[in-house]
Amino acid sequence: MNLEKVVFGFFVLLAATLNLGFFVGDIANPELHNIYELFAALAVSLIATVLKFGDRTQIGAVHLATSLVADLQLVAAGLVWVWATEIAAHGVTAESTASMVSLSGGALLANLVSVVLLVTETVTFHRG
Amino acid sequence: MSNPLLVFWAQLFSRPEPVSRVPPQAHIESSSQATATIFLVMRRMRVPLITLIVIFSVSVVGLTLIPGVDADGHRARLSIFESFYFMSYTATTIGFGELPYPFTPAQRLWVTFTIYLSVIGWAYAIGSLLTLLQDRSFRQAVALQRFTRKVKRLREPFFLVAGYGRSGELLAEDFDALGQQLVVIDHSEDRVNALELGSYRADIPGLVADAANPQNLSAAGLDHPFCAGVLALTDDDRTNLAVTMTAALLRPDLPVVARTVSATTGDRMHAFGTPTVVNPFDRFGEHLRLALNAPSCYQLLTWLEEGPGAELPDRGRPPTDGRWVVCGYGRFGREVTADLRAADLQVTVIEPTEQDEPDPQLIVGDPSEPEVLARADLASAVGLVAGTDDDTTNLSMLATARRTNPKLFLAARQNRPTSAPLFEAMGVDALMVPTEVVAHEVYAQLSTPMLWRFLQEMPARGDRWAADLIRTLQQNCGRELPALWKVKLDRRQAPALVRWLAERSVPLGDVLRSPEDRERRLQVVPLLLLRDGDVVLTPDDTTVLHPDDELLFAGEASERRELGSTMLVDSTAAYVLFDQHIPSSWVWRKLSRRHVAPAPVDEHVEDHGEDRVEEPTHR
Repeated sequence: MNLEKVVFGFFVLLAATLNLGFFVGDIANPELHNIYELFAALAVSLIATVLKFGDRTQIGAVHLATSLVADLQLVAAGLVWVWATEIAAHGVTAESTASMVSLSGGALLANLVSVVLLVTETVTFHRG
Repeated sequence: MSNPLLVFWAQLFSRPEPVSRVPPQAHIESSSQATATIFLVMRRMRVPLITLIVIFSVSVVGLTLIPGVDADGHRARLSIFESFYFMSYTATTIGFGELPYPFTPAQRLWVTFTIYLSVIGWAYAIGSLLTLLQDRSFRQAVALQRFTRKVKRLREPFFLVAGYGRSGELLAEDFDALGQQLVVIDHSEDRVNALELGSYRADIPGLVADAANPQNLSAAGLDHPFCAGVLALTDDDRTNLAVTMTAALLRPDLPVVARTVSATTGDRMHAFGTPTVVNPFDRFGEHLRLALNAPSCYQLLTWLEEGPGAELPDRGRPPTDGRWVVCGYGRFGREVTADLRAADLQVTVIEPTEQDEPDPQLIVGDPSEPEVLARADLASAVGLVAGTDDDTTNLSMLATARRTNPKLFLAARQNRPTSAPLFEAMGVDALMVPTEVVAHEVYAQLSTPMLWRFLQEMPARGDRWAADLIRTLQQNCGRELPALWKVKLDRRQAPALVRWLAERSVPLGDVLRSPEDRERRLQVVPLLLLRDGDVVLTPDDTTVLHPDDELLFAGEASERRELGSTMLVDSTAAYVLFDQHIPSSWVWRKLSRRHVAPAPVDEHVEDHGEDRVEEPTHR
């Protein structure tokens, strides 16, 4: 067992699961989407990105790309939330919630691709 | 008379063509080394970056969880955004204070904790980054990338110089004076620093790397379309062989010049394509023989090989009959002995080690000991060659020899550049510095191929001819070697002349008239005329020029410009050749069409030995 692989797989999966946890639920209902979950998803996604640094293989490059997409989407979702709570006059509306959650939905897709890549890599790995 | 704008225009748009569009035989990924290191750096930055992310996340979340009190005394928590904002300016030591309202003691407790945590995180991350930037391999990788990028952007023909030793430096100075771009690769960092400190007109890219490695050669532009030649000039024969081999296998179309001091390595180099192998010992022997047979030829040769701006060397008078003493029978001594014997001279050899083949004229003993030298009977000898590979031995031998026989002709081999002032103070008659011999040889071969041709053909013309030519050159251009340049009389380089050459017989003397005043002859010496592979040395003024003739001239830069305007500008050419004034501008020339075809001028003398009938050529 390779500890590096464990850590890598852990963070990739955790990023996807946290993202999914934030995403599920009625898209326009702010009560169903906890902002702390979004924050955790973003932090873990950033860690996963850094873990993917410095891999020279083709699959490593795609891994890094998916993570960067996820980061971008989650940061955008976070900005929508900041705008809704701090700047906009109406506070968190159904509209802004929907926009935030759909952005995190995009990040979820990227994270899923990442997980698929991880699984494919593991399945195609031949010992010897 | 001439129109400077037209000349400028012609020069501006005569862009250099790529030397070769031939794709290299095999592609070498040169940047892989560099990217590997960058990836390594990213890999090493993983832990510091993750630490930083974790510390930030924990601090931000912790701050939002701890209850605070707002300005009205109500319970209020910081939102994630406010908390992130606070942490950002606190962790980066900007410190705007407690925003948006003063903190409670519980919050302050947490903030104290996070401040120390974030300072550790930043210190760790920045420290790791700085360590990496200082890292030797990382800096080498960055240097390699910058060098590769610089070489890739070159858009003019360049020579790839492997080895920037003494000969490399001399060559770089000569080629830089000619405006020839170079790319340098050397394994010593000091030498590449010396290259950067050198005052060159062009920006010469230099790389610290092993030239024997094909990847480094590729990074230095071996497969670049503008690479015009490869020069293997390191002091290591194996490296030179490796460079020759790589160049011959990957770019068989490129000329390669390689330096070696061993005939065996020279043979091995010749196994790969057709490299020009320069063996300084061999060349010195040949020069010595030339100096014995034809001192003026030798003087001209050394002058022309030394490069632009060189002072005319003194004409040595080595004794042509009598006995020579050669000290040191190594590779250098053998070459010199063979050349001296070929010139029908008696040679006594002194060598410290016993030789395999018995030689009646070989004295075994240390040449630096006076009694060994005495056995060679210096009093009756005419010349001495101090040719060991140790400068101190050579100098002490020279001193002893001079004391014994002040009339001796002294030739010496200088091994280290630092010994130069000592040999100069000794007043040696012929000094052989291997690095300089290599530099001059390579310069003669590569600066213009016609110069090399000239030097090859020159000794056959005899000593008197060489002495005359030196006198002509001195009268026209002074004691300093003028610039040499070649012109091909074709549509690109001499559009104004080509038309007349096809229609009339134009003697060289008419072309060399000054555009300011055609009664004055330009101070330009034609050295060589190349026509269909045949050469004419120093063509005289009555030589009739043909289209596509190639000429090698020597002269000052100002004279070269004047000749250039004769070659490029129609009106100047008409004035210089036929004393006719035709308008410079296109409009006026169209308006006064009658001037375009000047009346035939037939008073020109036909070229001597020229059996070609002047037929009206239609092109």
